[in-house]
Amino acid sequence: MKFFRKLSFGRMESEVIELFKEHINTVKFACEVFLKAIETDDKSLLNQVCELERTGDRLRRDIALKLYGGAFLPAMRGTLYKLAETIDETLDMLEDTAIDYLRLNLHLDDELRELCVRVAKINVKMSNDLLEAFSALRSGDKLENRTVKIRVREREVDTLRNRIYEKIMKRNVSNYWEGKILSDFIDHLVYVSDVIEDAADLIQILNVSLR
Amino acid sequence: MLSEIAISIIAFSIGSNNTSNAFGVPVGCGVISFRMAILLIGIFVTVGSLTQVKVLETVGSIAKLNCAMILIVLVVSACMIVILNWKKLPVSSHQAIVGSMIGAGVVAGTAKLSVFASIVISWIISPIGALILAIVIYILSEKIFSRIPVFVVERLLYIMLIISGILIAYNTGANELASALAPVVSSKLIPHVEASVLGSASLIAGALILGGRVIETVGKDITTLDPLSGFSAQGSAGLTVFLFTLLGMPVSTTYCLIGGIVGVGLLKGVNAVKIKLLKKIVSIWIVSPLTAFMVTYIIARVVL
Repeated sequence: MKFFRKLSFGRMESEVIELFKEHINTVKFACEVFLKAIETDDKSLLNQVCELERTGDRLRRDIALKLYGGAFLPAMRGTLYKLAETIDETLDMLEDTAIDYLRLNLHLDDELRELCVRVAKINVKMSNDLLEAFSALRSGDKLENRTVKIRVREREVDTLRNRIYEKIMKRNVSNYWEGKILSDFIDHLVYVSDVIEDAADLIQILNVSLR
Repeated sequence: MLSEIAISIIAFSIGSNNTSNAFGVPVGCGVISFRMAILLIGIFVTVGSLTQVKVLETVGSIAKLNCAMILIVLVVSACMIVILNWKKLPVSSHQAIVGSMIGAGVVAGTAKLSVFASIVISWIISPIGALILAIVIYILSEKIFSRIPVFVVERLLYIMLIISGILIAYNTGANELASALAPVVSSKLIPHVEASVLGSASLIAGALILGGRVIETVGKDITTLDPLSGFSAQGSAGLTVFLFTLLGMPVSTTYCLIGGIVGVGLLKGVNAVKIKLLKKIVSIWIVSPLTAFMVTYIIARVVL
């Protein structure tokens, strides 16, 4: 096994794998920052999420340049780049959620805030699961356990989304924009888990791609 | 002089076609650059041609021929290879040379039919052997790869594609080129080392000038195969030709590669194999040595 591990250390390939780890770690950090911001209602933290989104863009570009500069067999490159794009989409979604939250002029009542915090907490857990899934892809550990966990958590978010919608549909808003921003905020917040699930699916596809 | 020109034409044509056999998949997959492929071909073809003499001896022993007969053999073989290449048909230089040698041998009354029979048996067995080997390699690799992390699988495939490419390049020198050189070397028209150097240089020129075009075609065709199938087909062809080279039998890498691809295709279902195309390849496989035999026989009878 040690011999096989050594084989996996092509210079460009190692760099791409490290960039992917950094990319997923950026998602995890952005999820944590957003959770803290919404838990403490500290909107100053949200700028950090936007900065992390820019870091994600840079990482995606670096991955693309290395992939199409010759790292990995072409049969894998397409899926690897799609993975980088999907991870980046998670960060885009988190940035959109953060911007919506900044724009939100109304006060979230305790019950609604608590539901949103629960979704944000699940997003943190899912980003951690995604990191573990990627590590399993590299080490050859059982991947299914991690991807199943991600799917279960995503279903949990779906249930919470329905409860959130039940709450906000009963709520009065003062104008169109207030309602739209609140609706967008919820949509973006719950969509993060969908994109993480897509990334996990791509990791699973990568795992079977050359076998 | 005419024999040198004929050898150069045959070697040039082997170079333009066999570059794709050796490195069509790795270059098509982007594993190595075209320049690197040519460098590896240059090195390993020359090494194969200089170090292996068994195939050369076998082909040379088909018939004892005088200079005029050898010239007829070489010119007919070169013309056949050029015409079939021009018609874009898969041609094996062995079949043209062996068919032509036996034709000249019959006229001269020196043909050793037992040697010819063993060569024909090798031609039949080798693609079938490659077919079976490709299936074995595919199944084994699939089993091993299912236990290894995917990034390691990717690296292993990368390394094995290059190794099998090198093996095929070596076979090209030790088997394909050796067959082309056999008539002149066995009759001592040109010494072995000089013939090998001339043949290798012409082969490299063929690879450099026309190999890229062929690689592009094969690369595009083969990339429809997944990397594991591509490797199984190429690896089986490389190993089969290498084994036959050790036995001193001239066999075609192209036909072994076709056998390997069919083997992988059969694993994925009979429908995956284009039977019509296969029939065409088999018919050329039968017709080309017969044509070489007939043409050489007629010319030798008329001229001498």
